Amino acid sequence: MHFYVKLGAAALLASAVAVPAAWAGETLDRVMSTKTLTMSSDPEYPPQSFLNDKNEMDGFDVDVGKEIAKRMGAELKIVTPGWDIITAGSWGGRWDMSVGSMTPTKKRAEVLDFPAVYYYTPAAFAVHKDSDMDSLDDLNGKVIGSCGGCTYDAYLMKDLEIDAEGAPPFEYEVEAGEIKTYETDTHAFDDLALGDGARLDAVFSALPTIQEAIKKGGYPMKVIGKPAFYEPLSVATDKGDPEFDAKIAEVVAAMKSDGTLKKLSEKWYGVDLTTVQ
Amino acid sequence: MIAPARESPWLSRALVFLVAATALTALGLGGTAAGDLFAPLFGPRDPAIEASFGRNLLVGVMLAGAFVLNLEFLRLLLFRWQVLVVWGELLLLFYGFVQSFGRDFSVVFESGESGVSNLYFLITTGAFTTIYVSLIAIAIACLLALLGALGKLSRNGAAYAVATFYISFFRGTPLLLQVVLIYTGLAQLGFVLEAVPAGITALALCYGAYMAEIFRAGIEGVPHGQREAAKALGVPEGLIFRKIVFPQAMRLIVPPTGNQFIAMLKDSSLVSVVGVWELTKTAQVLGKRDFQVFEFLIAAAVIYWIMSVVFEVVQARLEAYYGKGQRR
Repeated sequence: MHFYVKLGAAALLASAVAVPAAWAGETLDRVMSTKTLTMSSDPEYPPQSFLNDKNEMDGFDVDVGKEIAKRMGAELKIVTPGWDIITAGSWGGRWDMSVGSMTPTKKRAEVLDFPAVYYYTPAAFAVHKDSDMDSLDDLNGKVIGSCGGCTYDAYLMKDLEIDAEGAPPFEYEVEAGEIKTYETDTHAFDDLALGDGARLDAVFSALPTIQEAIKKGGYPMKVIGKPAFYEPLSVATDKGDPEFDAKIAEVVAAMKSDGTLKKLSEKWYGVDLTTVQ
Repeated sequence: MIAPARESPWLSRALVFLVAATALTALGLGGTAAGDLFAPLFGPRDPAIEASFGRNLLVGVMLAGAFVLNLEFLRLLLFRWQVLVVWGELLLLFYGFVQSFGRDFSVVFESGESGVSNLYFLITTGAFTTIYVSLIAIAIACLLALLGALGKLSRNGAAYAVATFYISFFRGTPLLLQVVLIYTGLAQLGFVLEAVPAGITALALCYGAYMAEIFRAGIEGVPHGQREAAKALGVPEGLIFRKIVFPQAMRLIVPPTGNQFIAMLKDSSLVSVVGVWELTKTAQVLGKRDFQVFEFLIAAAVIYWIMSVVFEVVQARLEAYYGKGQRR
């Protein structure tokens, strides 16, 4: 009798120790056993992530995701849930990571982990090409458009707390008269394109996104002033798997040190955005 | 003298002409393509300069004249031809409206390195997903609606409570939130649904709630005498609903249900938030590639419209089938 009680106690103890351990490595286990790394990405965000001429997902974020998968010995699979769904956390194992140019902020860090910053994007203001504004001071009191709930929105609201080591400090240099937010940046560009001051006086977005819209989309805009801030952009993972996070951090660090990330940045942005300017 | 009871047809025509001419002149169409017809009189139009009143007036009068002549022409036709001609004219006007945006819609038909045209991709990926998601969802919704209606008509307090709670919640909250609740909320409880099943579940639950009311009204709309007559003839209790009441209720249920399905075809765009590439999402993704979203959204609108027209025809057939008993 005594023996069985001891055995039962030992088994209970063993399972109590073993279960959290298995839980912690769940994502990593899944990726390694299925040889599939699933990442979420917004397909409406060129040049970071978009559907190319071959009707395949392509872009800087997608290339980074492919490289991470390759180095983990897995195939990359892409899913495209909306931004709000991704930033809400609790992914339920439906995808393993987000390589979606996400800035680690304090609020997001409550529901997601940010294991590896992989590049830094300058955030810039653009005005209609007919506008006379040419410095950040001119923007005070103007109607400025940005994506809603994103870091640009937070900056304009003076509520941006970036939560990453090595993030360059910044000051709030622009006092918007009115902030108009959109589902995504390009809708703000559309409104600015209607005419100088028709709906917007300026837009605030990632510099590469603005430049791509001007180059490929022919938007009548011009960038003014120096970048307002540099935001670190990180791979995001769901809470609760430190081993998977460590693996991602290791892989991204290796990509940075052997120059792979720099090469990808130059391929998509024409410049190296992987180090702080 | 008292005015004649029947006013002269010419007077009413003149009135229509006057109103139309005034409205069209007020719109100031002299600066549009229609104003070019008077280029010999006023010289070619200059987009930078506001069109003169004379030009606006001439264009207004001309268009009003065309409008009245068109009405006179339609008077000569049979009903069926009137319908066809007016449909054609409205379509032409719509086409002109879209053309006036000055966008290049040829991009919709272009094909990239993939070898398939964008339109093909839009249909095979987008429209196909929209249709199968909606068809599965409406099938489940019909079942839920029947259960909901029976529950609401039940004398069992628990069944009534469950049915009314279900109908109240899913009619009372936005579909978008339901999609997110089912996709992200249920996942916390361990029910991890993929995007497509989650979307179908949300659509089915939401539309089932709306349609429960339609089904209830349909069942209640069958005269009570039908039940009584069936009883008097000795039809077994269980068969009365299936063979007597339900087929007659269907006549009342089908038209609004067809309506719901057509609404669902378009509401299914809400499930794109969880990453389902249905028609709207596919159009946006294709559009973002070269910053030509608007062109693709117009193309998607036309595809939605065509799908709706097809299902309108299906609905008319179904209505004719279940309306057999009422036709004279």
